[in-house]
Amino acid sequence: MASAATCLHATSSIQAQGSKHVFPLQMVSKGFSLDMQLRAKRKNFPASLKLHAVHASSSHSSIADPIEVPSNNNSGDSEKKSTEASLILIRHGESLWNEKNLFTGCVDVPLTKKGVEEAIQAGKRISNIPIDMIYTSSLIRAQMTAMLAISEHRRKKVPIIIHNENEQAQKWSQIYSEETKKQSIPVITAWQLNERMYGELQGLNKQETAELFGKEKVHEWRRSYDVPPPNGESLEMCAERAVAYFRDQIVPQLLAGKNVMIAAHGNSLRSIIMYLDKLTSQEVIDLELSTGIPMLYIFKNGMFVRRGSPIPPSEAGVYAYTRAAATQHLDGFSLKLRKLHHNCIFQCLD
Amino acid sequence: MATGAHLHAMGCMQGQMKNHSNGSQNLAGSSQLRMVNESFYTDLRLFRQDNLHFKIWKLSMACMSGSQFLVADPIESSSIRSSCDNHRRNNETALILLRHGESMWNEKNLFTGCVDVPLTQKGANEAIEAGKRICSIPVDMIYTSVLIRAQMTAMLAMAQHRSKKVPIIVHNESEQAQTWSNVYSAKTKKESIPVITAWQLNERMYGELQGLNKQETADQFGKEKVHEWRRSFNIPPPNGESLEMCAQRAVSYFKEQIEPQLSLGKNVMIAAHGNSLRSIIMYLDNLTSQEVINLELSTGIPMLYVFKEGNFIRRGNPTGPSEAGVYAYTKNLALYRQKLDDMPE
Repeated sequence: MASAATCLHATSSIQAQGSKHVFPLQMVSKGFSLDMQLRAKRKNFPASLKLHAVHASSSHSSIADPIEVPSNNNSGDSEKKSTEASLILIRHGESLWNEKNLFTGCVDVPLTKKGVEEAIQAGKRISNIPIDMIYTSSLIRAQMTAMLAISEHRRKKVPIIIHNENEQAQKWSQIYSEETKKQSIPVITAWQLNERMYGELQGLNKQETAELFGKEKVHEWRRSYDVPPPNGESLEMCAERAVAYFRDQIVPQLLAGKNVMIAAHGNSLRSIIMYLDKLTSQEVIDLELSTGIPMLYIFKNGMFVRRGSPIPPSEAGVYAYTRAAATQHLDGFSLKLRKLHHNCIFQCLD
Repeated sequence: MATGAHLHAMGCMQGQMKNHSNGSQNLAGSSQLRMVNESFYTDLRLFRQDNLHFKIWKLSMACMSGSQFLVADPIESSSIRSSCDNHRRNNETALILLRHGESMWNEKNLFTGCVDVPLTQKGANEAIEAGKRICSIPVDMIYTSVLIRAQMTAMLAMAQHRSKKVPIIVHNESEQAQTWSNVYSAKTKKESIPVITAWQLNERMYGELQGLNKQETADQFGKEKVHEWRRSFNIPPPNGESLEMCAQRAVSYFKEQIEPQLSLGKNVMIAAHGNSLRSIIMYLDNLTSQEVINLELSTGIPMLYVFKEGNFIRRGNPTGPSEAGVYAYTKNLALYRQKLDDMPE
C-alpha cells in the first residue's frame, strides 16, 4: 500500500559520499502517488516510473532494480526503527549590539530587523525537516530565532517553552489536553547554551577595548582557546559547559529517536560542533558559523554525520538527506513535482 | 491654559526659547516657534541653520523631552537652564500598553492562559506594526510578562523605534545570571532600555482549560459554565484564576514597581496580555468590574497614557507614521519627536 515513487535526476557531477557505487533508493510515501517527470542526462523517462538510481560521474544513468522497503504503517515508529535522528543547529542573526559593534557575550540583547529576517529565512530552509524538541539558550535573541524559524515550519506543531524555574511556574504552564500535548514541540531553555561570557568586555566598543587593553591582548582573548578576558570565559570554558550539557541532555533525546533543533550562539555552537566533528582546538578557533544558516547533522548508530546547510524550498529540487527524513517530508501532503531541475540529489545511507 | 497653535518654523531657526511651560512664543529674528498644547495638532517644520544653534536647540530639547539623557555641550544661556527646571516641575511621562498579537494557539482556538506559546507570523507582523506607531514616543523602561509572546512583541516593536536605544533584558534569576549579564560600559548602559520580566504581568491562568479546544470545553463542561468562567469577574475555572485574582496580582505589581518609575520621570512601556492589561486599565481608568469585563483590547494596537501629577490621562491609540499629519499628545512628546527628526539617521 505504500507506493514507492521517486525521482532522480542525474547531472554531470553528483558525488555520492566517497564512492562510485550506484545507490538504489526508494522513497516511501503513505498512499500518495508521485507524479514526476524525469529528466536524465540523455533520456526522457515518462512519468510515474518507480525506482531510479543516481550515479555519479559516469556518462549514463543506470537504473537499478527496485528495492522492496517494508511498508511502514506506523508513522510514529518509522523514526525509531531506523534509529536515525536529525540535529539542526542554528546560529542567531544580527543583534542590536552586533550592529553597534559592541561585545555582547551574555548580555541579553535582542535581534535587529535584519536578524529577524535571517531567522525567518533560516526557518524556510528547514521547513521540511522534522523537529520534535528544541533547545535554546536563556537569551532572547536565540529564543526569538527559534520561534521565528518554527513559524515557517510546515508540520504545524506548536513549540511550547517549558517553565521549570519554580513550582508555580511549572504548575501554571500545565497543559490539560493529551491531543494538544502531542501537537507540541517542547522548548527547553538552558544557560549552558548561552554565548561565551565575555566578562569585563561586555558592552564595550571594539575600538575602545583595543585602546584600553591593547590590540594584541584583545586579539588573544577573542581568538585563543584558553585565555579568558578579565572575569570572563575562555572558549575552552564555554565549550566545557556547552558540550557537557549537549552530552547529558541532548544526546539521550537523539538516541531516543527525537529530532532536535538547537538555536544558540557562535561560541556555544562551535563548541558543540567541535564535539560532533572531533575538531582540534586550533580548528575550532578557525571555525566560523554563518548566521541564520542552519546546519544539519544526522545522528545514526551513535555517530554524527554532517549534512551541510539545507537549501530553501524555493530553489528547484528536493534534497533528501536520508530516507527517513524524506519519508517524513513526503508524509502528510501530496506531492506534485512537475519539473525537477539540476539540484535534485538523493543519497541513501544504507 | 496655554495657547495652542500650529507651529511653523521656516527658514532658519534660532533656537533660543524662553518660557516653554506655558507655551508662549518666542520670536527671535526670522524664526517663529510656538508650542502646542495637548489637544492640538502640531505641524512641525524645523530647519537648523548651523551647528551652534543646533547645539543650543539640542540642549533645550534634552531638557524638555520626556527622556533623560546627558548632553555634553555646555549650557550657554540661563534662560535655557530655567527651561530645564520647568520641565522637571512638569514631570510628565508616557505609559504605553501593548497587547501581543496572534499566538499559535489563538490560531488553533485553544485556551492558552499561562502556557508559553509563541506568536504566529501574523502576530509578529502585528508587533512590528505596533512598533511603527510608537516609534516616536520615548521609552525608558519596558515591562513584560515571562511569556515569550509578550517579550517578542516588545522586542519586535522596539526594533522599529527611532531612539536607537537598545532594550536589554535584566536577568535576576540567579547570582550567576546576574553576574554574567553585567554591562561594563557606562555609556552603553545609558543607551540601554532595561526590560524587566514579571510573572505578575502574565495572562490570566486558565487552570484545567489550558490546551483545550474551545468547542470540546463547551462539550465537556457545558456552554454556560464556560461562558461564566470566561466572562465573570470572580469565578475561576478549575485550578485557575478568576479575572479578579489576575487583576489583584497585576495591579499590585503595577502599583509597587511600575508607578514609582513613572513618578521618577521614566517613560514606560508594558507589553503583556489581554487580561493583565485590562486589569491595569481598570486601575488607571477607575472602571467597575462590569466595565472591565466588557473591555476588549485590540491586539497589536498600542494604548497611550500620560502620567502627570499622579494622574493617568488616556491618550488613545497612536497613529501610524504613514498617516498624514502629526499628532502630539503633549508638548513634551512633540518635542521628543522633533528631536528624533533632527537626529542623523
